[in-house]
Amino acid sequence: MNICILNGSPKASKSTSELLIEYLMSFIGDKETAIYNICKADLSETQFSRIQSSDALVFVFPLYIDGINSQLLRFLIELEKRGFGNKNIGVYCIINNGFFEGRQNLISAEIMKNWCKTVGLTYCQTLGAGAGEMLPFLKDIPLGHGPNRNLGIAFQELSRNILSLNRGEDLFVSPNCPRFLWKIASSLKFWYPRAKENGLKRKRLKDRAD
Amino acid sequence: MDILIHDLKDEEFQSFFSKAYNNVRIISDTGTIRRCIGCFGCWIKTPGKCVLKDGYGNMGELLSKSEKVTIISRCFYGSYSPFVKNVLDRSIPYLLPFFKIKNNETHHKRRYQNNIELDVHFYGENITAEEEETAKKLVKANCTNFYVKNYEISFSKSLEELSGKVNAI
Repeated sequence: MNICILNGSPKASKSTSELLIEYLMSFIGDKETAIYNICKADLSETQFSRIQSSDALVFVFPLYIDGINSQLLRFLIELEKRGFGNKNIGVYCIINNGFFEGRQNLISAEIMKNWCKTVGLTYCQTLGAGAGEMLPFLKDIPLGHGPNRNLGIAFQELSRNILSLNRGEDLFVSPNCPRFLWKIASSLKFWYPRAKENGLKRKRLKDRAD
Repeated sequence: MDILIHDLKDEEFQSFFSKAYNNVRIISDTGTIRRCIGCFGCWIKTPGKCVLKDGYGNMGELLSKSEKVTIISRCFYGSYSPFVKNVLDRSIPYLLPFFKIKNNETHHKRRYQNNIELDVHFYGENITAEEEETAKKLVKANCTNFYVKNYEISFSKSLEELSGKVNAI
């Protein structure tokens, strides 16, 4: 079984998508798998051939302005131009967003479904995770436990379907923790410390460009 | 200030839309735009301004001075075209990094208080009914996140058809 994982995160530093790929790999084991980062370098002809001859394509990417980032869009258009001789490919997506609610990934999943119809591939399942920026902070907590409980359960189902090339209902998951705590932590543990690293006081974050 | 974001070639814009949009700030593809790299520099390094220097780093400020924003975009799979989406991806400095709850969903707080009206005109020969539905949801979600109260969406099969619509307004 050939699985091709396409990382569609434009982030220069380590991304949540990369972490989610590591999680996925821990479930699918040593199957023949290729991982390509479509935002970091142009793919070779060999790599495009590998994508076109896969059994399963797994797109892993962050939500950008309610949809798919421009670089991944360009890549989807490129794939459409090249076409798929082999139509027996199942497409899966793992999408993360910076909001709390996993369901806010719904529109980008719909865009991927529309792409699949255009290129003639079968859309199989979405795992849409909320609180994407928080996930790297939780990486030492095992999947399926504590705040990672819902994500772990979703990964179990998604990976089972990928390995059997089955379809499944879309899974939109939020962290297993109160939303108000996440909201407070996002400022205190993420935005303020990062502003401080750049020599900015808290109130400067509200500066206006004019 | 009114803004037009479009993905048309120069000759297409001149042929079909230059009269309708002769007094607006035009944001078009000069071939220099860089993709948003998710660094959050516009929130935690140079608040309100993108750190990329490619001529498209002032979208937050431009939006803050806008009353009306018009988008003309080819529709791809229910999304905007890559260039138009690139411009929108680069527009997050318009917002603050902090969150608020709106309609039981988290959204970013606003940095500016101006009210923007949005018109989105999608074009393309083969836009399916499903793609139309997705595009409508996408624009609605954008309006929620960018605090746009009034918006309109149109779909046209060709630029001729679209120019008839915008020139009739």
